[in-house]
Amino acid sequence: MSRTYVLRTVLVWTLLELLAALQVPAIGGTPVLFSWLRILIEPVAMVAQGTVDLAIDVGLGARGLQQAMIENREMRINLETLRARQILLQADLAALREIGDFAGPDAEFGAGALIGRCIYRDLIAGTMEVRTAGSFILAHDTPVVSAKGLVGRVLRSEGHRHWLQLLTHAAAAVAVETEDSLVHGLALGTGSNALTIAYVPRQAELERGALLVTSGGDGIYPPGIPAARVTRIRESDEPFLEVTAISTADLHAIRMVLILPEWAPAASGGLP
Amino acid sequence: MWAKIAVLAAVTLAFQRILVMPGMPAWFGHFILPIIWIVAASLVRKERHWPYEALLLGLAWDLLFGPVVGPGGIAWTAACLSLYGLASVVADRSPKAWAAFGAVGTVVVILVQRLAVMPLGLAGFFTFRQLALSAVLTGLWCGCVGAVLALDLGKHWRAYHVRKLR
Repeated sequence: MSRTYVLRTVLVWTLLELLAALQVPAIGGTPVLFSWLRILIEPVAMVAQGTVDLAIDVGLGARGLQQAMIENREMRINLETLRARQILLQADLAALREIGDFAGPDAEFGAGALIGRCIYRDLIAGTMEVRTAGSFILAHDTPVVSAKGLVGRVLRSEGHRHWLQLLTHAAAAVAVETEDSLVHGLALGTGSNALTIAYVPRQAELERGALLVTSGGDGIYPPGIPAARVTRIRESDEPFLEVTAISTADLHAIRMVLILPEWAPAASGGLP
Repeated sequence: MWAKIAVLAAVTLAFQRILVMPGMPAWFGHFILPIIWIVAASLVRKERHWPYEALLLGLAWDLLFGPVVGPGGIAWTAACLSLYGLASVVADRSPKAWAAFGAVGTVVVILVQRLAVMPLGLAGFFTFRQLALSAVLTGLWCGCVGAVLALDLGKHWRAYHVRKLR
């Protein structure tokens, strides 16, 4: 019996059965054939409906996921913004504390002193950039101090931005003396955090740890400002002691500085 | 030839109709006279094709005796196909074979028709006794026809005429 023979038989028998089903009424009055078709179609329709529902759910889920990802990204950005703001606030707080430390020097130097914020520093090059709230043209060599001591002098000024030469700059020199004014010297920058105190006589009574303040002898810096602390003293064949000191101003950490534009050497009486 | 067979088949169906008419004995209803045509087709015909004749016979049976048209076509073609298969493995063409084929064809027709109407909810009460009775009676009918054909009455009639003319 060939395959065609079997197929023809199945086809004819199926058609005859469908013909018979079309003639027999079901309970509702419609032919049995329609109820068969309904039985056949209903699962397909249910599967199709389920598939559509699933697709809609997946679509909604994907949309929700996308929305959640966007919100998550926004929250991360907000978090990073808050963290950055916190860092800035911490910096501002520290700066405000430093400003509080200026109460002494500010009172000492009068109302003309300007507060500047350090926005860039290069300790190796010995330079610093500070920014003031107002726009000023500061005079060359205007002294700059911090709450802990001398910072340097103004080299260039342009509106809100001012460039400083730190006292550790290789070309910087500051006239210093001990607190009792018995020993005088010249603090020379070395390009590092250390300072070389030159011209200290061999017979001078200087001890390690002694505080050196500005003497005002250089005509730039006001006298009495802490400038350096002696770290090493060595005698040599030279007529002067080899004295090394470090800056008292915390140059790598200071945030706020006090600019003294109205200080005049003649007014202070510090000039020799 | 085909027209003659069609007329004879129609006559057989008419006789079947008469058998189940009111007033006839109840056991006459167990005969299935048209079975003889598919038995003859399976035992006599040399070349076999798909049994469209059985399909027509079954549809005619449905029109006359069935509740719906369709299951008869299935049942009669199924019986014809099964008899074709049986004829291909049985070499006997004696009246006994005609009777056996008739019985088998009857059983197949009845069972397949019941199966075909079952999904439609039309299958009525049915016993093995009814099936056996139908098979035996229809088998006897087919055996009788086979015996008549085996006697070859036409040949004897022609021989008688030849003798008479001499």
